[in-house]
Amino acid sequence: MPVTQIVVNSVIRGSELALLAIGVTMIFNILKFANFAHGEFALLGAYFALFFSVTLGLNLYLAALIGIVLTGLVGVCTNEFIFKRLRGMGGLTLMIAAMGLSIALRNGVRTVWGADPKRYQIGLGKCFSFWGARVTSTQLLIMVISGLSMLAFHLLLHRTKFGKAMRATSDNIPLALASGINVEKVIVGVWFICGSLAAIGGILIGMDTLLWPEMGFGILLPVFCAAILGGIGNPYGAVLGAMVLGFVEHFGLFVNWTNVISLGGIFNIQREIYIPTGYKYAISFGVLIAVLIFRPSGILKGQKGD
Amino acid sequence: MELMNFLIYLVTMMSIYGILALGLNFHYGHAGLVNFGHVAFFCVGAYASTLVTMAGAPFLVGVLAALISGALLGFLISLPTSKLSVHYWAICTLGAGEIIRLIALNEEWLTQGAFGIPGISQPLKSIVPAVIYPVFYLILVFIFLGIVYLLTELLVRSPFGRVLKAIREEDNLPLAMGKNVFRFRIKALSIGAAFAGLAGGLYAHYITYISPLDFMPIVTFLVWAMVIIGGKGNNLGSLVGAMVIVIFYNSTRFLKDYIPISADTLASLRMVVIGILMILVLLFMNQGLVREKKRVYRIPGEKPDAGS
Repeated sequence: MPVTQIVVNSVIRGSELALLAIGVTMIFNILKFANFAHGEFALLGAYFALFFSVTLGLNLYLAALIGIVLTGLVGVCTNEFIFKRLRGMGGLTLMIAAMGLSIALRNGVRTVWGADPKRYQIGLGKCFSFWGARVTSTQLLIMVISGLSMLAFHLLLHRTKFGKAMRATSDNIPLALASGINVEKVIVGVWFICGSLAAIGGILIGMDTLLWPEMGFGILLPVFCAAILGGIGNPYGAVLGAMVLGFVEHFGLFVNWTNVISLGGIFNIQREIYIPTGYKYAISFGVLIAVLIFRPSGILKGQKGD
Repeated sequence: MELMNFLIYLVTMMSIYGILALGLNFHYGHAGLVNFGHVAFFCVGAYASTLVTMAGAPFLVGVLAALISGALLGFLISLPTSKLSVHYWAICTLGAGEIIRLIALNEEWLTQGAFGIPGISQPLKSIVPAVIYPVFYLILVFIFLGIVYLLTELLVRSPFGRVLKAIREEDNLPLAMGKNVFRFRIKALSIGAAFAGLAGGLYAHYITYISPLDFMPIVTFLVWAMVIIGGKGNNLGSLVGAMVIVIFYNSTRFLKDYIPISADTLASLRMVVIGILMILVLLFMNQGLVREKKRVYRIPGEKPDAGS
């Protein structure tokens, strides 16, 4: 496989992960808990879009938009009915509740839509090739949508009053309260935005590959890894972390590790050593452990892990 | 007779899950460690016991191997993560649970991969008559459950257990008293993991067939539901939780005759119910079915406070 192709695949993976990692990092920073149900927002968004486009026959873009808004509302509802009420009991309880919610949502999707993989009705599209890499128009679309979503989030953070309030709350809740920011309202907004971003991520994954009930849970660990890698609490770091992880995942499988394992020829190893593709998931785990041991504050400065 | 066999199966599974729940309760209820990869220890224990007995070792050695391998994995996982905050710890254990399953799936030379290992030996199979064998095995599991239960009760009441409870509440007090919090965490995770490993061994020799499909993350969720619904921090609660969840989980077997939906949908639906139940318990009944008995230490002569 040409290197350019791996770069393209890495960027696609990174842009999908980034949309979820932003949400995880924001929620962690403001509400102080790891949201284990975040992957399920991606799942819900993807299946909502499937319902409106395939079952009801709407245009895919319109269906995606409805799905994104609906998932944002689900996020707001989970805050209203579960997380807001449990906030007094500490991060541990919130985390366990999120795990319970994740089981309920995932199996809810499985109850309604079944366990079989589904796909959107999009054609294969045109195939462009440059420098030996092949990109379908769908894949280009994925990168563009992801980039636009991130740009929109950036503008929201820096160009609007609500974004300012969000940054203030993220920095220091008591100070934000003292300056007259309605923190409750900001939290509701954060849930909506994070839910919607995750939904976009889920729909993009669905366009890229398939939809199946485990897709949200399967992406959870890489997303956490990306968020921690970039420095928890820093949305830009989360995007960077997601990209880095995308590259590490794809190049980790591509690289011949013989030279590394033999320490540059000190040990004599004859056969070529590759990471088996079955262990792709393990790469993000390895990165996660390495980051937590050596640099718990992440690449860009975030909160520390201890 | 068939009903009788099913009941025996149910009670055996309850006891095996009871041991698992006691292990997780030791982690979360007593030491405050959020372990989302409990199934990893269960899996390692099951494979360890299977492989050791297949190599010719007797049942008890296999079970011992399960115990030790669980503890060892717990030790390995907690070594790099013991200094992290609970959230990072939870994420790491979740990952570890998946990695262990991937290893079981991919390392075919050791585990026979997705095909699984059939024909796992059962203890005293040739001596005990086949008719009463399930009862015999149930008694065997009961004995182990009893030992684990007594052991956890003793541990919880020992000075070691009291330090764990102090760590559960917050780090600074035990640190100020000169306790090495990290070492206590590592020990706590290893002990609970050893119990889970033991449960894995008992499971493997009971079902006599294991494959990576037996060790999906869903096992971890079920055990979490048991601990939360049964009542965290109370060993009896974990057993009650195991009873409730195992009965509910298996009841769909009968419900499918009365409710006109497919077995697959019903299987998903019961997990929805368990998830919602967990959240409801957290919201409205935070102590679970059986409350934790908290001992209150007072200065002699002081008036007892209201509440707790």
